[in-house]
Amino acid sequence: MRAIWIIAKKEYQLAMRSISTYIVLTLFLVVSGLFFSNIIFKVGLAEMRSLFEIMHVVFVFYIPAITMGSIARERQSGTLELLSTLPIKLSSIIWGKVLSCLMQLKTLVAFTLVFLGIIAIFGEGIDYGAVVCGYLGLILAGTAYISIGVFASSLPSNQILAFVLALLISAFFYVLKFLIVLIPMNLMQPLMYLSFDNHLASFLKGVVDTRDILFFLAVTAVFALLAEFNLQSRNMMQER
Amino acid sequence: MIRIQNLSRNFGNLKAVDNISFDIKDTEILGFLGPNGAGKTTTLRMLVGYLQPSGGSIELDGKSIFADPLAASSQIGYLPEQNPLYDDMSVSEALAYFGALRSMSKAVFKARKEFVVANCGLAEVLNQRIGTLSKGYRQRVGLAQAILHDPRILILDEPTSGLDPNQIMEIRDLIRTLGKEKMLILSSHIMQEVQALCDRVVIINKGKIIVDDQKENLGNYLENSEVLHLEVEGEGIEFGAFAEQYAGLELQSEAVDERHCILKLKQPKGMDLRQDVSRYINEKGWLILEMRVEKQSLEQIFHRLTGEDNSVHFTAPQTDENIEEQQ
Repeated sequence: MRAIWIIAKKEYQLAMRSISTYIVLTLFLVVSGLFFSNIIFKVGLAEMRSLFEIMHVVFVFYIPAITMGSIARERQSGTLELLSTLPIKLSSIIWGKVLSCLMQLKTLVAFTLVFLGIIAIFGEGIDYGAVVCGYLGLILAGTAYISIGVFASSLPSNQILAFVLALLISAFFYVLKFLIVLIPMNLMQPLMYLSFDNHLASFLKGVVDTRDILFFLAVTAVFALLAEFNLQSRNMMQER
Repeated sequence: MIRIQNLSRNFGNLKAVDNISFDIKDTEILGFLGPNGAGKTTTLRMLVGYLQPSGGSIELDGKSIFADPLAASSQIGYLPEQNPLYDDMSVSEALAYFGALRSMSKAVFKARKEFVVANCGLAEVLNQRIGTLSKGYRQRVGLAQAILHDPRILILDEPTSGLDPNQIMEIRDLIRTLGKEKMLILSSHIMQEVQALCDRVVIINKGKIIVDDQKENLGNYLENSEVLHLEVEGEGIEFGAFAEQYAGLELQSEAVDERHCILKLKQPKGMDLRQDVSRYINEKGWLILEMRVEKQSLEQIFHRLTGEDNSVHFTAPQTDENIEEQQ
């Protein structure tokens, strides 16, 4: 546990020192700000739900960008060898990376509280319960995406490839809801169950269902385990 | 002590390490020599538990290091070959990071940090970003990281590569000091380094051990002849008649131009031809520009045993000889 925290803290500190973090942060705020102002001024709704849906889309691109380097960069520079020979478990490395990305994601999400502040001041009849649930859902979905990204990053030693892989896997879970017409009936139920949007939808409505929480946690755990397994087998089979 | 038995490691069809066995005693400095691609790094990676062997065992004090990898790795300090470091961190931060991951207490860390900073000469770069450091300083940071937790076993993969002669001297002194109380395994393809530092030498080639002996005994592996180098100036230089007088003498000559000739006389060991040669040249009225007997070193043993391969990269011999002279 201690090692996880040490790794996460170091990764987070380094990320917060890098200029690219701030560029991505600014981009995210500009994009979501545009959508937010659209909702406020054109539609005239004082709500966060549409914004959360936009944020979910942005996550599919943003999260692979923060996770792509997590393990691929360490492998590329060789520091993974150093880290693997320290008296810490491989799982600590993986969870440390996941945690640091989660901290970055929370930093990003924290900035959207500005939007909430605006509608809290100028809007009326805001469902704060739904807003809190929405944030909870987004963080949970984000954690699952991060785990996917860290797993993707453990596969190649090339960061760009890691990004593309993470994007593909994340996009699969995201676009499932749009594929509804293409899916055969008997496959519909299980595939729809995997759709992140389905599980997030109830959070956005203000309903916290334990099954949805468990779903996101399970996806997180599965991909983190896969990443750990992958690192382990790399050490067994590693080519020169 | 570490006992390695029948250790093998395959990469696909390539046998990188092929059934090697040797022991390493406590407080022994073991030189692990071999040309590039001989399997040195693969062996060391297995020793630190980074790579799983395809066969065989590595035992530390009678227990396999893979049985409890965390306990084993806390006793080992490792400097990998490429010396990977976190370029975005400052030296001080990196040391703190490794200290924390090795679960060192604050007081212990403070004392050890002082020790490594003083001994690796890091005081003036402590707050500099590692990415901006010179190769020599990077190497020292790598070494500092390896000895930070005062490990019982120190495994250094080519620790002096990329350092200038003065830095090599300093690092060697440090290694020698550390070797007094630690088990130290030093991989290198620089012969002089091993000659200067190690008690015992293991030479590995194509995954197999070809020599495992105390440094003093390596003389036994020497070729049974010496080479006398000559550079002569004069008219009509001809050594054929001279060479015929001695049994077992081989002559190689190469004319540089009309008046210059470079000769190599391969003489059986124990035969000293210098006086005869200079008398002969005197008689003919030529001039000796250079005459020296090539000393046989570990380098030649290495060359002879690892044979034809040209993948061996030697550091400039002059530099290393200078270092030896300074010592």
